[in-house]
Amino acid sequence: MRVTLSARISAWIDQHQRSAYSSYMEMRRRPLAAMMTLLVIGITLALPASLLSLLKISQTLTGDHQQNASISLFLKNGIVDQKALRVAADLEQQPQIDHVELLTSADAMEEFRSHSGFGDALDALDDNPLPNVLLIHLTPDNSSIDIRKLAAELKEESVTDSIEYDQGWIERMQAITQAIRRAVQALGFGLGLAVMLIIGNTIRLEIMNRREEIEVTRLVGGSDDFIRRPFLYIGLIYGLFGALIAWLLVSILLMLVSGPLGRLAELYDTAISLSAFSLHALLLLIPIGISFGLAGAWLAVNRHLSSINPE
Amino acid sequence: MIHFENVSKRFPGGHYGVSNITLNIESGALAFITGHSGAGKSTLLRLIALLERPTRGQLLIDGRNIGRLPEKEIPAHRRKIGLIFQDHRLLNDRSVFDNVALPLHVRGFPVREVGKRVRASLDKVGLLKKEKVLPITLSSGEQQRVGIARAIVSRPPILLADEPTGNLDPELSREIMDLFLAFNQLGITTLIASHDLDLIKKLGRPVINLQQGELT
Ligand SMILES: Nc1ncnc2c1ncn2[C@@H]1O[C@H](COP(=O)(O)OP(=O)(O)OP(=O)(O)O)[C@@H](O)[C@H]1O
Ligand SMILES: [Mg+2]
Repeated sequence: MRVTLSARISAWIDQHQRSAYSSYMEMRRRPLAAMMTLLVIGITLALPASLLSLLKISQTLTGDHQQNASISLFLKNGIVDQKALRVAADLEQQPQIDHVELLTSADAMEEFRSHSGFGDALDALDDNPLPNVLLIHLTPDNSSIDIRKLAAELKEESVTDSIEYDQGWIERMQAITQAIRRAVQALGFGLGLAVMLIIGNTIRLEIMNRREEIEVTRLVGGSDDFIRRPFLYIGLIYGLFGALIAWLLVSILLMLVSGPLGRLAELYDTAISLSAFSLHALLLLIPIGISFGLAGAWLAVNRHLSSINPE
Repeated sequence: MIHFENVSKRFPGGHYGVSNITLNIESGALAFITGHSGAGKSTLLRLIALLERPTRGQLLIDGRNIGRLPEKEIPAHRRKIGLIFQDHRLLNDRSVFDNVALPLHVRGFPVREVGKRVRASLDKVGLLKKEKVLPITLSSGEQQRVGIARAIVSRPPILLADEPTGNLDPELSREIMDLFLAFNQLGITTLIASHDLDLIKKLGRPVINLQQGELT
């Protein structure tokens, strides 16, 4: 019997369609059980996914803050404006430094006067007590170690009275996010295993329920591949829809926190890039869900199918 | 076509299902297997379908010794055989059509071909109108005919029936046997295990008689 290639391909597609469809119908026969399983898988996947999203947000906040990192260099008394400008120009030559702003004592006084409401009190002073300040804006790609080294160097400059920067806060934040990220990765791995086991167990029950069908299929000459296929499709479908549910859950969570986070982002003068219902997240979650689903189904099928033989 | 050469089947525990069987069944033949309960009729048929493995001797089918056939080649071997059981072994959660279609699905037949063949097969056993119903809603004789339709739908060269008329009244039994005779006319090698000695005598075909696992 000669069969053309295209006929064979279309038969192959037929078979897979039938397997996928019959798996879907099989799930629909027990809709409540299937829904519960899907929900459990969805929540299990959603947990690490939402933690990762929140982590990403906090990184956006601290990350942007570091980009704007700056060092305030208070000049010694008696460094006059001309000298201060020269120092500023020198500093701008350094690669770590983006640009330097000079805030003269007069500028500072003016700003203070207009903002504080202590204008009259200040008029009573003979001398301007405020120092000249160089606001040193750093380039964005500095590591926290770079910043610390630079600050130490600046402190040794002869013109420097004192130095202030918010390095400590940045470092702490980075360390914390790093630790949380590790924890979330470990958690994600564990929950991934859990998803595999949940799907594996569901498939195991399914195999037991369809024992008769498997036996009869063996009697009429069904190969292991043929018998395996619908169960793998069930795993795939659970993984796929579990991922969809996880995506919805994460999106709802992001929607809930977007209000407060938006205000926070304003304070930090940055934009939060993570949005609810993002296609990117969906494209990431779906292959993950499908892989776990297929892996769980594969394990269950290989463990239990060989034990079912026709009488 | 089917050749037993000193074949024995010894079950774990030491009991013999069949012992030292030597037997040749020509291609296109139809033969009955008779004997008391426990004589080894089912064992003989199950050996041919590789539902059991022979423990001794050679079992050649189509010139091939199947005694040592690797596990993964068993499905391909079974696709040469149509099996019919006394208890039908139909799937009661799917329609008659889907039951009969299963052997075609495992062979990867395209959908349109499946429809044609299933209906042709159901037509031969006189159940064309019942394709949509569930097997449990049918009478025992009708269920047996669905089982036969499933066995012949893929046009296998060998047909094995284990007490296909066990639960049927004489008239229905005769109808079922006539079906087998008709398929045999088309060249299908057929083996039927049966208790129904009266009917077998009437049909005048070769009879293989077993007694405690041995040929008599
Ligand atoms: N799986 C098994 N394990 C142990 N002994 C078995 C097994 N299957 C069959 N036997 C034994 O082998 C012998 C032959 O059994 P078999 O089923 O072939 O008989 P039979 O002729 O089909 O009987 P019946 O007419 O009752 O169906 C019997 O003594 C039976 O007890
Ligand atoms: Mg028997």
